[in-house]
Amino acid sequence: MMVITNQILWLALAIILAPLASGLITKVKNNLRLRQGQGILQPYRNLWKLFGKEEIVPANASWIFRVTPFVVFATSVAAVFFLSGDLLAIIFILALGRFFLALAALDAGSAFGGMGSSREMFISSFAEPAACLVIFAVYLTPGATWSLAHLLAGLALLIVILAETSRLPVDNQETHLELTMVHEAMLLDYSGPALALLELSAQIKQLFWLCLLVGTICPPVLLPYGFCLLGLIIVIAFIEVGIAKYRLFKVPDLLVFSVILALLAIVSALLGV
Amino acid sequence: MNLLINLKSLVVLDPLALFFLIVISLVSLPSLIYSIGYFKNKFTLTKFLSTQLVTLAFIVSMLLLVIVGNALAFLIVWELMTLLSYLLVLTDSEKEAAVGAASIYIIMTHIGTAFLTAAFFLIFRHSGSFDLAAMAAACQTMSPLLRNWLFIFFLIGFGTKAGIVPLHIWLPYAHPQAPSHISALMSGVMIKTALYGLIRFVFLVLGISSLWWGITVLTLAIISCLVGVIYALMEHDLKKLLAYHSVENIGIILLGLGLSMVFTRLNLNNLAALAMIAGLYHLINHAAFKGLLFLCAGSVQKGSGTLDMEKLGGLIKKMPWTAAFFLVGAMGISALPPLNGFVSEWLTLQAFFSGALKVPGMLALGFAVGIAALALTSGLAAACFVKAFGITFLALPRSQNAEQAKESPASMLLGMFLLALSVVGLGLLAPTIFNLLATVTAPICQASLQTSNIFSLGLQPNSTISPLFIAILLGSGFLAAIAAYGLLQGKTRLGRTWDCGYYQIGSRNEYTATAFSKPFRISFSLFLLPFRKTEKVKDSFYHVKSFVYETYTTKIFKKYLYDAGLGLLLHSAKRFKRVQAGSIHLYISYILATLVLLILLVKIL
Amino acid sequence: MTWLLLFAILLITAETALVTRFPALLRNFRYQSLCLALLTLLAAYREGSIELYIIAGLLFSLKVLLIPHLFDVLIKRIGSSDHLGLFLNAQVSLLIVIVLGLISWYFASSVVAAPAYLQQLTLSAACFVMLTGIFLMVSRIKALAQVIGLLLTENGIFLAATVIPGGMPFFVEIALFFDILVSVMILGLFIYRINAIFTHIDVSKLSGLRG
Repeated sequence: MMVITNQILWLALAIILAPLASGLITKVKNNLRLRQGQGILQPYRNLWKLFGKEEIVPANASWIFRVTPFVVFATSVAAVFFLSGDLLAIIFILALGRFFLALAALDAGSAFGGMGSSREMFISSFAEPAACLVIFAVYLTPGATWSLAHLLAGLALLIVILAETSRLPVDNQETHLELTMVHEAMLLDYSGPALALLELSAQIKQLFWLCLLVGTICPPVLLPYGFCLLGLIIVIAFIEVGIAKYRLFKVPDLLVFSVILALLAIVSALLGV
Repeated sequence: MNLLINLKSLVVLDPLALFFLIVISLVSLPSLIYSIGYFKNKFTLTKFLSTQLVTLAFIVSMLLLVIVGNALAFLIVWELMTLLSYLLVLTDSEKEAAVGAASIYIIMTHIGTAFLTAAFFLIFRHSGSFDLAAMAAACQTMSPLLRNWLFIFFLIGFGTKAGIVPLHIWLPYAHPQAPSHISALMSGVMIKTALYGLIRFVFLVLGISSLWWGITVLTLAIISCLVGVIYALMEHDLKKLLAYHSVENIGIILLGLGLSMVFTRLNLNNLAALAMIAGLYHLINHAAFKGLLFLCAGSVQKGSGTLDMEKLGGLIKKMPWTAAFFLVGAMGISALPPLNGFVSEWLTLQAFFSGALKVPGMLALGFAVGIAALALTSGLAAACFVKAFGITFLALPRSQNAEQAKESPASMLLGMFLLALSVVGLGLLAPTIFNLLATVTAPICQASLQTSNIFSLGLQPNSTISPLFIAILLGSGFLAAIAAYGLLQGKTRLGRTWDCGYYQIGSRNEYTATAFSKPFRISFSLFLLPFRKTEKVKDSFYHVKSFVYETYTTKIFKKYLYDAGLGLLLHSAKRFKRVQAGSIHLYISYILATLVLLILLVKIL
Repeated sequence: MTWLLLFAILLITAETALVTRFPALLRNFRYQSLCLALLTLLAAYREGSIELYIIAGLLFSLKVLLIPHLFDVLIKRIGSSDHLGLFLNAQVSLLIVIVLGLISWYFASSVVAAPAYLQQLTLSAACFVMLTGIFLMVSRIKALAQVIGLLLTENGIFLAATVIPGGMPFFVEIALFFDILVSVMILGLFIYRINAIFTHIDVSKLSGLRG
């Protein structure tokens, strides 16, 4: 019972803190660009506002469009819930949410949605092998001692995170230029509470990935967990500020690079380095 | 010489055979129910009855195949099964495509059968009996070289039927031409009987004697997975797409079986059992969801008159049940939790993971490649089914046909429902199924893997899943979200899709299947060799009146392997044609010349 | 007596190479069969075997009387010219047939040991008849010649069977006779049909039928 209570508490904490991570990244990015930027609580305000708004549902859409926000939310929550369990299962659970989101994007019948859907599935199908291999590498290096394998796997996972949380150079959250967006294109026809739910889910998923990287790769003994998380957020902000968006067809190259990093991690794990 | 057929051992009813009996029945029953509605208003009563009769005979031949305990009987039933399915592919024999497809099918499978026959007779030379037990005993004393050859023969023989790349070319021809429930039977069950043969004859009769066997199977499996799914992504004909997915799924099943072979050779019995359970689990899963998907595709064809995805769309409103069942099948095949595909792919990954720590380093690295390939495959499969479901069922209809689509009759829906139920059941009841499969694999791998917990599938700490629990968790998350949504929601109204201020968005604005798969086409262009035809008709320099854009991919296996081989054959045949001039006198003179030659050689011989 | 008959067979067979018309070919076949029947009769008398008497009777009635008669009827029915149509002219044919004869002698001498000269001669005659029969099928154009060539070959096989100690089993012989009768009927029918459809029985022109 204790375990379950703990899990639920942790879940609630994650849901509450998820928008904060987004706000922090935006804040750091803005500061790096020498702008004042919005406050770190801005994502909360956005969500609140969206939850209060009227929702417009495209007439073309079917029930898939309506249930998708709930499915996506459920998968994000489940991913966080299983963080201490089987990691492979989480990859599959997240795939469920993505599957529905991609379907919902097609459902409205707009070209943008289809574009986003196609690109999301394209990118994620390359991100999945990298993620699995990172998990494999971590599996092969048991124990708390930190090794080269951890570093390589961490780098690989970082690239996966950039792709999965739709950050530069794979996707750009800050733009609404229809021809380049990926994740945003899928949400284009959502509004009001449904959009809020989807945004919140994306933020929870992002927190999950960050925690995964910190929990499996970073040296937990040396530094406290929260500190690592903060460091990671800053690193991601640095990457986003310092890099331009890749062409879509360059993205697989990046992810294949991540796969290679993960393979190297596996090699070093097998060699015991 | 003993009697060729020993009546006592003619029937073998071990757990493996029982398992396959279940798999066959699982798909056959719904397919038969489905066929009632499917053939309605399509065939005359006579044709309907004769088709049903052949279908029944086909099912019976498959059932017989998995229980015969005699290689000769196996071969006969195998051939019977092939011929009956050939007839069934020809059901729509008015269509020229059906005849061509059936011919490719029968030629390919007969090449396979030739290899099987050769293998059986090679073993017979040592055993003096076609009895499986006697054959197994004889195989133990054979030279390693002969066993290697036998393995290759079995692999080619069963591989042709199973559709392992590069022997897969008949699948995308034959499956789409058959009536849909026949496709379901062929793709869901018949190609599995080849895997049954592989297990029966390689694991149990031949015995795994070299490590490279397993590695070869693994390599072929990885190639099959990727080739199958990439071709499927490029396909816009619903049934062809499904046929290519069969190639992919056979690959996934073979990943399990190949791993099991590797582990067996390394004497890691528990792992071998685990890998085989993963393979068999995926096997029954594939039977369920591929059967379901083919039935749904048939329903789409009956309802709208076409299978071309570019002409479909919006069917979810016209055919809500078919759409729902297709969604279940699509989720199953895309390995989404908590449905069945997820469990078996997860088990396969687990087998890779657990094995990696116990095998030599190089092999572990190879396992990493297998893991990456499986993950890539499942990602691409998900993409493919987003395309298949999204383009076919969602948004606006792209043609008149799709607009006037009608839902299928109740018997068809019942058939689909039963399979959809099994897709869900096979997922949620994972631990039970796992235990049953453990009983099947126990005698093959000499290892017993039973999970005591009936709610979760735990193999080791930190790698425990419970599809039931995941389902409950997802369900409660889902409900919580709905509750929150209901509490906070203001108003909802129907509106227009965002059209950038354009007049009115229509079906022509929708993303097409071709467009959806374009990123994949480009990134796999090295393998797909895409090319396109464009045709512009211009009124003037500035105004283009019409624009035709067609894009194709090159089927490299067909073009560079089969067509090249066929070309060589035809070329040499043309040379030989001179010998066969059509003159009877010439033919008789060949006989005369041969006779004279023989007479002259009589001393030497 | 046996020697005489064997030489008669050899002579008749060689003579078929020179024949250019159906009735003559048919006559040759008739005489050859007659010699064969007489040979069998002799053997039957020598061994006192009833089976051999029956076979000789069958041989006589089928190959000397019935089959040639059927062909006579057929030739009249078809009513086309009774030339065989030669690919190779008579002289060349004779040369080739002589070569075939040498080959058969070589074969017989290499199979049967030296003192058994009668067997040697019988076997070589048998082989000679077979080869000539086939040669006839090759070198003559019209379909009737092919059928008679086949019958000649069959005669050769029959002769060869007499060399084998004990000969062929009785039932095999009987069955063979019926085989021959049926095949002659079928072939006759075919020839008749070919003639009806193509208005000729020139086999060399049938090559247009190949794929």
